[in-house]
Amino acid sequence: MNDKDNIILEVKNLKLHFPLYRGVLRQVVGHVRAVDGVSFKLFDGEVLGLVGESGCGKTTVGRTILRLYDPTAGEIWYNKPSGERVNLARIRQREMKPLRRELRMIFQDPFSSLNPRLTVKDIIGEPLEIHGVARGKEAEQRVAELMRAVGMNPALMRRYPHEFSGGQRQRIGLARTLSLNPRLVIADEPVSALDVSVQAQVLNLLQELRDRLGLTLIFIAHDLSVVEHISDRIAVMYVGKIVELSETVELLSHPLHPYTEALLSAVPPADPDIHHERIQLRGEVPSPANPPSGCIFHPRCNYAAPECSQQEPVLVEMTPGHFVSCHFAQDLHLKGIEASA
Amino acid sequence: MNDEPVDTAWVPSLTPPEQEDHESYFQLVWRRFRRSTVSIIGALMILVLVLLAVFADFFSPTSLYQIDLQSSFIPPQQIHFFEDANGNFHLGPFVYNYVYELDPQTFQVHWVEDTSKAYDIKFFVQGPEYKLLGLIPLNLHLFGVDEGGTIHILGTDKMGRDLWGKACEAGRISLSMSLFGTIISVAAGSVLGVASGYYGGWVDNVLQRFTEFIAAFPNLPLWMALAALVPKTADSFTVFVAMSCIFALLSWTVLAREVRGKVLSLRETDFILAAKEMGASDARIIFRHLYPNTLSHVIVILTLTVPGVILAESFLSFLGIGITEPLISWGLMMRNTQDIQTLGQNAWILAPIVFIVVAVLGFNFLGDGLRDAADPYAAK
Ligand SMILES: Nc1ncnc2c1ncn2[C@@H]1O[C@H](COP(=O)(O)OP(=O)(O)OP(=O)(O)O)[C@@H](O)[C@H]1O
Ligand code: SF4
Ligand SMILES: [Mg+2]
Repeated sequence: MNDKDNIILEVKNLKLHFPLYRGVLRQVVGHVRAVDGVSFKLFDGEVLGLVGESGCGKTTVGRTILRLYDPTAGEIWYNKPSGERVNLARIRQREMKPLRRELRMIFQDPFSSLNPRLTVKDIIGEPLEIHGVARGKEAEQRVAELMRAVGMNPALMRRYPHEFSGGQRQRIGLARTLSLNPRLVIADEPVSALDVSVQAQVLNLLQELRDRLGLTLIFIAHDLSVVEHISDRIAVMYVGKIVELSETVELLSHPLHPYTEALLSAVPPADPDIHHERIQLRGEVPSPANPPSGCIFHPRCNYAAPECSQQEPVLVEMTPGHFVSCHFAQDLHLKGIEASA
Repeated sequence: MNDEPVDTAWVPSLTPPEQEDHESYFQLVWRRFRRSTVSIIGALMILVLVLLAVFADFFSPTSLYQIDLQSSFIPPQQIHFFEDANGNFHLGPFVYNYVYELDPQTFQVHWVEDTSKAYDIKFFVQGPEYKLLGLIPLNLHLFGVDEGGTIHILGTDKMGRDLWGKACEAGRISLSMSLFGTIISVAAGSVLGVASGYYGGWVDNVLQRFTEFIAAFPNLPLWMALAALVPKTADSFTVFVAMSCIFALLSWTVLAREVRGKVLSLRETDFILAAKEMGASDARIIFRHLYPNTLSHVIVILTLTVPGVILAESFLSFLGIGITEPLISWGLMMRNTQDIQTLGQNAWILAPIVFIVVAVLGFNFLGDGLRDAADPYAAK
């Protein structure tokens, strides 16, 4: 699956700094470095998990790739099915429009991502209408098909979003995302806003649809336990940067970054008898408006040495396919977990 | 909301898509609106005024256009029941004949009841001819008395016109003009508010400064100056439109700011981002996603703007720079009350105030109820 030549998306040194305004004159007093130099490759057909605590910039990465936000710097190379390469970071919105059929997103909050004034039919059918794919009866048929595909009764298509539960709404969002047969879907915490009891159902559905449709997926989550089953590879983000990226089993069993180790220690073990110590991190996640010097993780890192606050580590390939950004990645022997995947 | 268990399995065939019973946005709003007594009362108050205005000829026992200087300043005629001064029994209500006496000392006219003649008040009577809605010739009136008698339940003005009938008629201009003015202001405010909020940046800056500039003018002198520009010789329709536009100036700045605020908060919501993610054009985002979601807000502001315009209209017309004859509005009717002496002797000519108060309260009540009902999703 991870055929090296089969790259669908290559993100290079992506940055998005939101300006911070103050006062009546709206002077720029600083920047929120929400995404600060993110690079990764995405292979055709794979599921890449993007994990990190709240506020570390996962949503911003996803939205910048789809040009819902304009990047401050960096490149986003997308390989079209025709083989042509385009830099999404540089093209105009007008040129982006046809690509929006192939590059889609699932939103985190099913309550705010559906227009309350439109019926389910209009919501799911909107991409069809925008891209002139189907109209009238034909569109209605397609909507019915899509509703069935996400496990909903098409008889409900004339209802409004407020008449549905969170899980049902997320299915509507999913149907909307799938309506144009996308190639790449960025799923931004698609289940985190749902009740625990429904999370598994929606996750299973997503996985099933992915297998059936052969989608490439970037799956964003703030918790490793959600992504470990669905992802082929996992990227760990911390304050606007990717600190570790590797194949799932490798990352779980042999983490190379202290932050990954801490995240792993929070994953409940498959076997409850196994003694399991949770690593407590000191302090709070630093603000991306004022990130720490050197290694961004140094104020909280249990292995930090004096040089960590001076020198910024770079993301390097330690072992084939395993990237990490830590000065001591080679020397530390970090504890992973039994990979169940 | 509960999560009913859902079958994740592929659902091969289901009942054909049929019309489901569901609640649309307006049904939801209506359901919440109905629960608010105050807003229902407000709506009824407005409805009554509108009906009185539209069918003023029918509700007025006399012709609306008749001037009779012989019967100026008749006080509201008293309505009597059952038995008259001569011991005659009357089944329904009746009024006495009114005659005037000259005070020998002051030479002032006093209207007194002449109890020798009583007129029964009859309902659905034939009376002066008029055209219903300006089209259908008709002479049916809600109430009236036989030939020879008069019935002025609110009295008459200097020209001898029935105040009740006139006040009903004046509602036509007062209500339609304030509504028309408000709609112009809503249109202007919406366009500028949406442009400002959606495009942001320098567009927003320019529009905001412009709005502030307009809002910084003291209202009253501005209106007076503009009203003075309308030529006195202009035909009624021109005056109507010109005055409406002047009143629109009063409120569009407030509205533009409200709409801008709402658009600003909506612009960052996920469903707008989702529309962008689908590749929707700016026009589509604005007209299909943004504006419809501010509409409820706009309707509320509209309802709450109307009373302000009604009051402004009364005020300008009262000063003689608003509506002028032959048009008639509540404010213009009040113009006669400017003369303290006339007012002192004929207090009933203040009657149009009641209509103004009912209209203002009615719209405020309605607006309050709508504000609570217009956002049915907020409860969650
Ligand atoms: N439009 C914006 N303007 C300014 N700052 C923003 C904006 N959007 C996000 N941020 C900031 O950027 C940082 C990253 O936010 P982002 O939403 O990408 O995080 P996240 O990893 O998706 O978090 P969560 O798990 O809470 O969704 C946060 O500090 C946030 O406050
Ligand atoms: S570079 Fe230093 S501070 Fe950063 S993760 Fe590695 S050991 Fe910790
Ligand atoms: Mg997020």
